[in-house]
Amino acid sequence: MNKFMSFLEGVLLPVADKLNNNRYLTALRDGFMVALPLIIFGSIFVVIANFPFLDMVISEEAFTAYQNALGPASAATLSIMGLFVIIGIGYKLTESYELESIYGGVVALAAFLILTPQILEETTGVIPTSVLGAEGMFLGIITAFVAAELYRFFVTRGWTIKMPAGVPGAVSKSFSALIPITMTLSVFLLIRFLFSITDFETAQTFIYSIIQEPLTALGSGLPATIIAVLFIQLFWFFGLHGQIIINSVLDPIWYTLNDQNLQAFQAGQELPNVVTKQFIDTFLVGMGGTGMTLAVIILIFAVGKSRQLKELGKLGAPAGIFNVNEPIIFGLPIVMNPLILVPWLIAPVIVTIVTFYSMSLGLVPKPAGIIVPWTTPPLLSGFLATGNAWQGAALQAVNLVIVMVIWWPFLKVMDKQYYEGEKSAENKDN
Amino acid sequence: MKNILLACSSGMSTSLLVSKMEASAEALGEDVKIWAVGQDKAIADLPETDVLLIGPQMRFMQKKFEKAAEEYNVPVEVIDSMAYGRVDGEAVLKRALELAESK
Repeated sequence: MNKFMSFLEGVLLPVADKLNNNRYLTALRDGFMVALPLIIFGSIFVVIANFPFLDMVISEEAFTAYQNALGPASAATLSIMGLFVIIGIGYKLTESYELESIYGGVVALAAFLILTPQILEETTGVIPTSVLGAEGMFLGIITAFVAAELYRFFVTRGWTIKMPAGVPGAVSKSFSALIPITMTLSVFLLIRFLFSITDFETAQTFIYSIIQEPLTALGSGLPATIIAVLFIQLFWFFGLHGQIIINSVLDPIWYTLNDQNLQAFQAGQELPNVVTKQFIDTFLVGMGGTGMTLAVIILIFAVGKSRQLKELGKLGAPAGIFNVNEPIIFGLPIVMNPLILVPWLIAPVIVTIVTFYSMSLGLVPKPAGIIVPWTTPPLLSGFLATGNAWQGAALQAVNLVIVMVIWWPFLKVMDKQYYEGEKSAENKDN
Repeated sequence: MKNILLACSSGMSTSLLVSKMEASAEALGEDVKIWAVGQDKAIADLPETDVLLIGPQMRFMQKKFEKAAEEYNVPVEVIDSMAYGRVDGEAVLKRALELAESK
């Protein structure tokens, strides 16, 4: 068992290292981080605009006026999050090469806008906001990578206009970016033209049908979700931060699915996806900390006898309510504890299946595309994530109970070991 | 005064440890400044610290941080996972001070 575990750790550690230190994945993750405050701002106002029972209390006109007054908050941020992600990725990737990063951000945005059809039905000179959200997410990410790389390529080529000494720094900087930006955007103009003579007509349609649609279809399924959840759990079993490793690969898919739901939610249509960013964060791995260890803390309070576990419960509870659970992971410990491996892997899978089917069968509303900050306590987070539905909170409560039931026998064994150890230590002292 | 920087994924769980370390520094009469950041901000804060400790769940970042820390001669170490789990402020503080001395 020990040999097998050290073998597995030997495999996982380099994977974590590669994924986390990969330049593009880091830029992707940090790019999403740039957009996050705006996404959460928009989410807060979606929640306020859809306050429960409000439409029954006030008149229909007043409710419409209320929603219209709050609408721009999410329309300008959450609904067009792709825009900020693109700037973030372009900026962060350029920054990683230690070049003038703001130019990387704007050149990525301009490149994306060049590829975007600026027409909506018959009206020209407009940018459909839908392509700035879910629809254009993958094209945006790819464009940001390519644009920032091209920008770097042209800068390091040295094709810049050199200013004579004595010209103010800011002035020569603005010129130094001129040629690389011109070259980069010209390439994108050419790419746009090349797509226009194919059957796809736009780069948007090409990326959407060749990459985005198949990947999101795969990512929205139950099997892929279970595999992702298992990997997160497995990484944490070896004391490695599972989400930060897995999210950097799957966030584009999960955020895209999320945004599709948001658009449907705001249009009052049926929500298309069960698996979304919030499905993962609010109902599975993020609830009460990875592996839903808040349930374990409750269980310790309920059945724990040993001093060691009780102390740990007290230590872990305040943080656990806000979904921070490192004290439990390293203190119980969960890390490298063969006894715990069974509930550690099984409980999240059962919870994933229960959550998936309770949403796809319509018992619980699907996540409404609202991004709830990950430190929001469970029950409240489930309520908010499902668009202010009490069923969301109820499902989280059910999930916590499921985790408690699965953990029960294993925690009992562990508690007994600790308890007897403590008793014999006391006897020795006497 | 010694400066101690802690880093984890978003600076949440290490900030738990910061308050325990501060309490134990006060008890021991040590003059220290301790703060926690997310992994993406750690490198930017390197010039201001005497030692960088990283949460064990982020130990795959060690090499990257060590490379960045060379320039400032800042020692980098992964926090012992048992001490991390118990949020043992005193043990981590003592180790941090040892490392900061050796700088």
